[in-house]
Amino acid sequence: MIELRDLTFSYTLPDGSLVSETPQLNRVNFKINKGEFVLVCGPTGSGKSTFLRTLNGLAPSFTGGVIRGELIIDDLNLIGSEPHEFAHLVGYVNQQPEGAFVADTVIDEIVYGAEQLGLSIPAIKQSIDEIAPLLDIAELLERPLDTLSGGQQQRVAIAAALIAGQKILLLDEPTSALDHEGANEVLRVLRNLAHDRDVTVLLAEHRISRVIGAVDSVLVVHGDGSVTKGAPQSQFNDNRFAPPIIELGLKLGWNPLPTNNSDATKLWQSAKHSIEAKKLAPASKEVVTLQDLKVSFGNVTALEETNLSLFGNQITALMGENGSGKTTLCWAIQGTGTITSGKVTTSFGDTSSMAAENRLDVLAMVPQRAADLLFLNSLSAELTESDRFANVKSGSTASLFQKLAGRIDTAIHPRDLSAGQQLALVLAIQLVKDAKVLILDEPTRGLDYAAKRALAKQLNSIRATDRTVLIATHDIEFVAMVADRVLVLEKGRLVQDGLPTVLLSAGNPLASQIAEITREPALITIEQVLS
Amino acid sequence: MSVTSQKAHLLRANKTNPASWWIAGISLSLVSSLTGNLMVLISICIGTMLTVFLARDESPWAKSIGFYLKLAAVVVSLRVVFRIIFNLGTATSEAFLLLPSLEFDVGFGNTIHLFGPMSELSLVAAFTDGFRLAAIILSVGMANSLANPRKILKATPGALYEIATAISIAINLAPQLISSLNRVRRARSLRGRSKGIKSLAGIVIPVLEDTIEQSMALAASMSARGFGRRGKRTALQILIARLLGFLAVCLCVTGVVLLLISPDQQFIDLAIVFLGLVAAGFTIRISSTKATRTRYRSEPWRLGDLVVFAVSITLLLLAFGGAFAA
Repeated sequence: MIELRDLTFSYTLPDGSLVSETPQLNRVNFKINKGEFVLVCGPTGSGKSTFLRTLNGLAPSFTGGVIRGELIIDDLNLIGSEPHEFAHLVGYVNQQPEGAFVADTVIDEIVYGAEQLGLSIPAIKQSIDEIAPLLDIAELLERPLDTLSGGQQQRVAIAAALIAGQKILLLDEPTSALDHEGANEVLRVLRNLAHDRDVTVLLAEHRISRVIGAVDSVLVVHGDGSVTKGAPQSQFNDNRFAPPIIELGLKLGWNPLPTNNSDATKLWQSAKHSIEAKKLAPASKEVVTLQDLKVSFGNVTALEETNLSLFGNQITALMGENGSGKTTLCWAIQGTGTITSGKVTTSFGDTSSMAAENRLDVLAMVPQRAADLLFLNSLSAELTESDRFANVKSGSTASLFQKLAGRIDTAIHPRDLSAGQQLALVLAIQLVKDAKVLILDEPTRGLDYAAKRALAKQLNSIRATDRTVLIATHDIEFVAMVADRVLVLEKGRLVQDGLPTVLLSAGNPLASQIAEITREPALITIEQVLS
Repeated sequence: MSVTSQKAHLLRANKTNPASWWIAGISLSLVSSLTGNLMVLISICIGTMLTVFLARDESPWAKSIGFYLKLAAVVVSLRVVFRIIFNLGTATSEAFLLLPSLEFDVGFGNTIHLFGPMSELSLVAAFTDGFRLAAIILSVGMANSLANPRKILKATPGALYEIATAISIAINLAPQLISSLNRVRRARSLRGRSKGIKSLAGIVIPVLEDTIEQSMALAASMSARGFGRRGKRTALQILIARLLGFLAVCLCVTGVVLLLISPDQQFIDLAIVFLGLVAAGFTIRISSTKATRTRYRSEPWRLGDLVVFAVSITLLLLAFGGAFAA
């Protein structure tokens, strides 16, 4: 179906010279079969998006650069073709579907590709009839796109990518913005497409634990120009991005490594293991207090009357579906968010009435679109500005950034960093300020497991200086790693407030992968398993 | 939700063809530039605003009308204030607004007069100039906030598709800029800045980068789904279409210029414009039949569109008639 022979891709500067001596992709060779479900992974910033984009001409068309070698799809060498010449063969789905929508209603969006490719109207009708039930969107066809949930939008985007009978589907982190439920719906659909419909699926994904059990093979983009392909078991010797299941297998010396939870459970139960209780930090004094806080936008209530206290020396995770009010709550505490009634107080004053500069001393926040905080024209300028503003030893931000994202050439423009690297940079800038209260809204998007571990470690040492940390996230594995307390919001209402070892343990909707495998009470992270 | 259900009348934005709003917008701006009557201009301003507030839906581009309103207000006040400050001395006998006159000697025997008595006539003239610009701004604003830019794409003939895409992306840019601006401004307050850093760059750069990135994402998505494909046309067919298109543009421009500069031979001028339009029609026809796109559902013309169309063309004809009669 797809074959790459010596595919080489390099970025170029505007004058035509190469950005670096080593190409982004260097002499890549592999074959992918029809109906194969392939997971594309690799460390943060290794070039997974670029790699996917070379497979339908978006790189170099939209990214600049030069491409050489052979890219054979259906016996045709398409190297150097424009993206629209791939359109009838390859469907492409982006990280943020709403940014790529060309129409307003589901049906108009789905048929766009077919219209461009000149399919006849009866053929389009037939294609809709086939694809809509498959993606579970038949009921939604006349709905405006902006009234759909994230998971529904992403399924519409998949339908739109396959409407003209495309047999190859490329997806660039399609679930990174979705809640647990939405992500599972999308992954279920992808599995069916690959196994029942013979669609070849290439899926770039960071939360590998969710998909590892379903894929046929794993492609690793290493970041040094090489790309390797193999069975899921064989691809994770580098544990920068190994999911908990593989980590567990490696730790306990299982051979062959299991890739799905039920195999792992059998192996786990066949032997006796020593387990350690998870260390949770004891909370100190009350720092943030929400009293009957209510937020509505127009006649939509985003947050019902909420009473809540956040404590020093404690990391609190805020979980819940898309649109359940997590971000609204974060901004209300930060002080610039809408507050309809009730109030937020902190032991350092009322954040909503503070002057902007004073607020920065008390509270640091990383918003969902972290890149909005970057505005200088090189990484080194951002790092120095951050040291200067935070009044810390020069190089402090840089060393924290390096812990999170590895070593990166500081002459690079911040916009040329990958989404994960940009997030790591903003995290470093905000963490280095050493504010009393830290709010992180989705701080793990695009970060590999190694970066998440580094972030967790950093947050632990920040907390230990009696800081208050609130993390809004969908990332169960990260919560298991770092949280002392878990809150769950549902449609603007706080429905649960408990220990991670309870809420993330086996049998719960938010169970971590280790909990699902081991089915032991209160066992949620790999660190608790003593080899 | 109840607000939207009350507005189920035939002019509602989502029940009309976006093209008809652009025809209305362009006709009204033409009417505004042709007329010298202050009352007509004010009526156009009020009329367009009323139409927008009655017909708009809850889409992001519908919100852009606020921006046009502010712009129009600024233009009118600037025009009037400038006229009062840089008053070109009127006779005191017919003065309407008696302001003291200030004179500055700027050297070399030149003086500058500021303020001074204002006649009613020159005040009206200042208001007329201001409201003419305001009416043009609001007419375009009306079209922009009522016409769904994505639907314009669907309503254009195949041959104009590339141009229409570029225009609709450009139209989309304004609401996108405004929403990025709000988001980035908020995000910037999270970071703070040290004393050495200029403040403006911190807002402008992320906003521009974000807007460009969003447009690129949209363009990439369109391209990956086959946008930009051309049907198989021979070199001769392409040449004919291009020549005919060029001829059409030449004829239209010549005709309009002649109409404006020589009011004597109107019949011939109109005939030239007409020929140009016919040539344009043929160009679109030839190019469109060779395009390989299908349209699954086309945007219909409904009763509301006929009303909008009829009103704007009638106003335009009246204005032309008035201008020629004068």
